[in-house]
Amino acid sequence: MKIILSEDNEILRKSLSFFLESKGFTVDQFSDGKDALDAIRTNEYDLILTDINIPGISGMEITQYVRQSIGSDIPIIIFTSSGIEQTELDSFDIGANEFIAKPVSPAVLLVRINKLLNIRV
Amino acid sequence: MNNKEKPVPHNEPERLAALKRYNILDTLPEHAFDDATKLVSYICGVPIAHISFIDENRQWFKSEIGIGVSEVPREISFCQYTIMDTKLVEIPDTFLNEQFRNDPNVVDGFKIRFYAGIPLTTPDGYNIGTICAIDHTTKELNDNQRNALSIIAKHVINQLELRTKNIELDTQKKIAELAVLAKDSFLANMSHEIRTPLNAVIGFTDLLAQTKLDKLQRDYIDSVQIAGENLLLIINDILDLSKIESGNLAIEAQPFNLKKTLKHVYDLLKVKASPAVEFNLFLDADMPEMVIGDHGRLNQILVNLTGNALKFTEEGEVTISVKKIDETADYYSLRFSVKDTGIGIPEDKLKTIFDRFTQAEESTTRRFGGTGLGLNIVKQLIEMQNSQIHVKSKENRGSEFFFQINYKKANPVESETESIADDDLGKLKILLCEDNIINQKLAKSVILNFGFELDIAENGEKGIDLLLQNEYDLVLMDLQMPFKDGYQTTEYIRNEMNSNIPIIAMTAHSLVGEQERCFKIGMDAYVPKPFKQQLLLETIKTVINKDNKAQPKRKIDLSYLDDLSCGNPNFKQEMIALFIEKIPNEAIQLEEAIQNIDHDKVKKLSHNMKSSIDLFMLDDLSHCLSVIEQEAKSGQFTETSNKITVLQYGIADVIKILKEL
Repeated sequence: MKIILSEDNEILRKSLSFFLESKGFTVDQFSDGKDALDAIRTNEYDLILTDINIPGISGMEITQYVRQSIGSDIPIIIFTSSGIEQTELDSFDIGANEFIAKPVSPAVLLVRINKLLNIRV
Repeated sequence: MNNKEKPVPHNEPERLAALKRYNILDTLPEHAFDDATKLVSYICGVPIAHISFIDENRQWFKSEIGIGVSEVPREISFCQYTIMDTKLVEIPDTFLNEQFRNDPNVVDGFKIRFYAGIPLTTPDGYNIGTICAIDHTTKELNDNQRNALSIIAKHVINQLELRTKNIELDTQKKIAELAVLAKDSFLANMSHEIRTPLNAVIGFTDLLAQTKLDKLQRDYIDSVQIAGENLLLIINDILDLSKIESGNLAIEAQPFNLKKTLKHVYDLLKVKASPAVEFNLFLDADMPEMVIGDHGRLNQILVNLTGNALKFTEEGEVTISVKKIDETADYYSLRFSVKDTGIGIPEDKLKTIFDRFTQAEESTTRRFGGTGLGLNIVKQLIEMQNSQIHVKSKENRGSEFFFQINYKKANPVESETESIADDDLGKLKILLCEDNIINQKLAKSVILNFGFELDIAENGEKGIDLLLQNEYDLVLMDLQMPFKDGYQTTEYIRNEMNSNIPIIAMTAHSLVGEQERCFKIGMDAYVPKPFKQQLLLETIKTVINKDNKAQPKRKIDLSYLDDLSCGNPNFKQEMIALFIEKIPNEAIQLEEAIQNIDHDKVKKLSHNMKSSIDLFMLDDLSHCLSVIEQEAKSGQFTETSNKITVLQYGIADVIKILKEL
């Protein structure tokens, strides 16, 4: 299973990648939204994991592009430290499958990923 | 019979009151009453029997055989007539009885043909109910049966009386228990209240004794000091006892130096030994140096027992000895003994000497003084440490008190920091938070005597103000203060100001968990009031030296990182290294951006840093970043300058700890 992760904080990004790789996933990691979107366009991924506030283009814009321009139903998990309810509503509104508030619990993240991937298989 | 007047006893209101007193109506079945009913049925050979009580409008069955209902209206009951009488009412054949021939209970209902009922008469003469034997056929009781019925009736009344008395006793018992509780808390409060002014008396006497005095004045002051200290001992005894009674006394488990404690007891009491007494301290060569347990209570027990031994021994020997009896992987089992060649205890008094307010000789109190509480406290303190005190004694030959306590072994790491360097502490600047003016004055003189500088804040808030304005080396913190108490103030200093300044708690009550609570919220040490100058000085030395050795207070929780690294130590180390490399720089950039009032950059940086800080679960610092980010978003820096300072200190602290991992 191949996951794309976009998160600009280096420590968190590396930790999450390491965690997911330990759990048997392949992870492509990006700190910039534009680079992430380019990768999505050219590669096949099973799941997108993205922060909202990242340089380049935001996680919201990535989601919007994937759903509207590419027209893909690939599972998307958005996570953010914004505690604002509207952010969560907006995320679902533009087509995210899951919304996780930071700090992300690794166990919860894993459960949600598995749930989304199982539904798809 | 329907138009017949209903029979009502002439003393009906009093009769009803008597019935109410027993609180028997509508209670659950009880064996004692059911047995009596069965007895009636057996003795009279009838299928129906009951014990019933009659109130305003019903006959209620406390116990019944062959009736099957719990109550009937009073006006249809036979027994309403019976309670008009004083003796047995017997109707051998209801068909032949003018009064009952047409009664519904006779023609249908219970089909009563035979009725025998005897009133249940209270000791003060009210017929509150009946006990009855009933049959469907005619019958006549013999004298034995009649007699038996009246005996059973008396037993039922006795039963009721007993019930009532038991309830009364129960109530009295509860009142008595409350009274004991009130007494205990009164004692605890009183002795606490007395200790505060006594603290001042002893403290100022101490100070006075250090001034230039002539011989007579010195003599007077010595007497005041001795009297003050004796009074304090008594008050402490009472306070301890009431704490033990109310379950408020805790046994500590802290590492301590056993040899030192014993030596301390010995040195303390050596002066009290009369010249003709050889006072010894024998320590087993195998005795461990460090153990984990309650050093203060051991001290108290030994001082008490040894003090007694010295008091009651005019010549010969008094010996404290300690021996290792057993050792397991975790515990040492030690036998402590205090032996003397004094007046001894008569055999018949050996059992009672541990009782409160008891001394072996009635005259002892006069001749030797004391409250008679000491041994009782010793016994309870030893029992609280899962042991027992034993005594062997022969009159005029001497006594031995001994007990065995299991102490947990101390890890070398847990050992107390040895050797308080006797070096000069320099001119420490100390802040005292204390609301009581007398205590302020006392502490001030003592601290100035030590050669330190002192500022005083009369409550926690003022203390925080002073801490923000000036640099201090140490805070002495009273726990009970108006506005912000010692706990709240400490929490503020540790969490909001993020300061590591050593804080010593000072309190008069040493209750369960109090010391623990002090350490838990980040205080460094604890001095009970009234404080001894020496103890205070040593405590100050300890915390200052500990501080010099730079033991960081902060603890870093790496569990989140552990989860993410799936237990891979290399990866974890890599992330820690990355944190150490990046975060200080980012903090500097953030501070610059704040100074340049670059809201956008501050927002981005603080947001990004927060993710890193959260990974190390540094909630307080994360909170600072949230505030900064929020203010950057709103374009208005107010708290930010404060928070960035806290953040910088916090990060420096964290980096230091992480580097040492």
